[in-house]
Amino acid sequence: MTNPILENIRKSLGRTDQISSPQGAPLSLRPAIYQPRQPESVESEIETFLNEIKKLSGIGQKLSPDGIDFALETLITDQNIRTATVWQTPHLRQLGVTEILNSFNIKLISPNADKHEMAQCDLGITEADFLLPETGTLALYSSTEKPRAVSLLPRIHLAIVRPEILRADMHQVFAEAKNSNYLVFITGPSRTADIELTVTLGVHGPKNLYVWVII
Amino acid sequence: MNETSPYIGFEEYSEHVPTSIPLAVQQATGRFVSGRAARVAELPQWEELRQIGSDIRQHTIENMDGYLTHLEAAVLSAGGHVHWAESGEDARQIVLQIAKENKVKSVVKSKSMATEEIHLNRALEAAGIESLETDLGEYIIQLAGTGPSHIIVPAVHLTKEEIAVLFSKHLGIDAPNDPIELARIARETLREKFLSAEMGISGGNFLIAETGTLVMVTNEGNGRMCTTMPDIHVAVVGIDKVIPDWDSLTVFLKLLARSATGQKLSTYTQFITGPRHAEGEGGPKEFHLVLLDNGRSKILKDPVGRDVLKCIRCGACANVCPVYKNVGGFAYGSFISGPIGAILSPQMLGTQAARELPFASTLCGACADVCPVKIPIPTILRHLRRRVSQGDEFSKPTLSTSIRVTASLASFALAQNWLYRFGTRVLPTFMSIFKRGNWISNAPYPLSRWTKARPLPSFTASFRNWWKKEKDSTK
Repeated sequence: MTNPILENIRKSLGRTDQISSPQGAPLSLRPAIYQPRQPESVESEIETFLNEIKKLSGIGQKLSPDGIDFALETLITDQNIRTATVWQTPHLRQLGVTEILNSFNIKLISPNADKHEMAQCDLGITEADFLLPETGTLALYSSTEKPRAVSLLPRIHLAIVRPEILRADMHQVFAEAKNSNYLVFITGPSRTADIELTVTLGVHGPKNLYVWVII
Repeated sequence: MNETSPYIGFEEYSEHVPTSIPLAVQQATGRFVSGRAARVAELPQWEELRQIGSDIRQHTIENMDGYLTHLEAAVLSAGGHVHWAESGEDARQIVLQIAKENKVKSVVKSKSMATEEIHLNRALEAAGIESLETDLGEYIIQLAGTGPSHIIVPAVHLTKEEIAVLFSKHLGIDAPNDPIELARIARETLREKFLSAEMGISGGNFLIAETGTLVMVTNEGNGRMCTTMPDIHVAVVGIDKVIPDWDSLTVFLKLLARSATGQKLSTYTQFITGPRHAEGEGGPKEFHLVLLDNGRSKILKDPVGRDVLKCIRCGACANVCPVYKNVGGFAYGSFISGPIGAILSPQMLGTQAARELPFASTLCGACADVCPVKIPIPTILRHLRRRVSQGDEFSKPTLSTSIRVTASLASFALAQNWLYRFGTRVLPTFMSIFKRGNWISNAPYPLSRWTKARPLPSFTASFRNWWKKEKDSTK
């Protein structure tokens, strides 16, 4: 079985030998990369992270588990939230997020709901799987419990995260995540400057990004 | 493809650029240049990163066969489909076939240079399939029916008033002249399309050979929509986008957004390996990767020209280019403009259609200074100028006969001492006929090509005579 494109590439590169096995390709021979960033203390990493979120027009803060109740109430009032959808993860369950939303009479939509229904949702609540302080980035996997649309379709995205998932550099994240079928980096709310270079938030994705670090 | 490519008349276009274009383009380039400078200043190891980025890209294109073989196996084992497209026509047929098999009526597209390159929208529409660009800037220029004036902000040449008129006309509404309101209208209009389209088409910024992963970088979230909402995701990606592994990716992600927009990272970076695993997680049930050659494997043969394939499409070279900043993106007549377009189009479309582009440069070298993967753009421009004027093993000379004859006469005259001296005596006398004050504003051809844009100072004395006098007087 010959592939004409690969044949052309080999001809152009002046290959005379046939690669004996496709898996014998020179993956390991690539030039060395640079020294990854080293982590600082957890406190200082959280500060760096929240600082970056702020620069990106996101709203980040540190919270104790007891503070979630009040913080959610404030968010619901400020953003006029009526409907919400939440990732079904042990951490969010342990924090009692859905119970708190129920207590404020927020209509809950299943995170696996039809996309049209999900698109009407005001608030999507997720965790994150990794945090990158240097760039203010959240990294999220996807699964049935963690559907992709929750961080995308609602007009507000809230990520409730733990300091344990801080990683100093992309290398660590990729070392852990490279075999997953999906990962997304979220660095601030959706933005564009396509009309007269005016920065506009929330053109297709969420207009606001809230990040609460639970300590 | 060489035979069918329409001629790119850079010179003719650049003589009639509306003044609004350089004004708008320079606002964009100014912002991106200062943004990039600020990010670069924060990173002490920037030059080291560029060198590593350059080394990895060089290594990858020199081993492209091995990495593509790896990539194909990895995508297949992740449950994706791989299609190889030798030409633009092949790629269009592959996409149309996938659409037909899945009874697709409407397609949402995220911004992609590869699909611009193969004019995919036209082919889809000809087949009766609605194909909508969803990046705000691309959406606007699709409505306007024009090409991009800048790689990152394609509609920057249009004012908010013009965009409001476009929206009002196409959407049947009364759109206000306000960028934020216009973005909101686009959000609502396109949201419907994201939810109803059966197929999403994207490009890709990188392909990781190690795991068969497609990496996509966007800011608006439309890229996520196109690859999450429809049931079928088709990614059309040039074979030059392959990189070895995830560790290499860290280098390019650090270089790309900083060079392009002056961000540390773009808002959304997606890492997609095959289709969804479970319906509940969302995302497409089918993932198709179309690997586009379209002349790239031929470019690889030229050890000088092939460095163009290292490009990661950041647009930094255009932002600093004095020629691009004065003519804008349209002048380059292709999906990619600026210095990188000037070295890619002649190699991809041939030096017949794109023979003017290698000359669309002052060779100042600013592009090479900012290129995150150190492509020696001025060297390749000179290499292609030689191909156009003298021909080489890849192409016959394509410069017009009159210019070639003039150039060889000039080259002969300049090499003969006596003829040169004679010229320096005769020319000022001859030119004095056209003198007005100390300026010449309408010289005869070929000097008229200069003087119709700006006057020439008149000749006063030859340097040799002046030098001789100076030397004598200081004795």
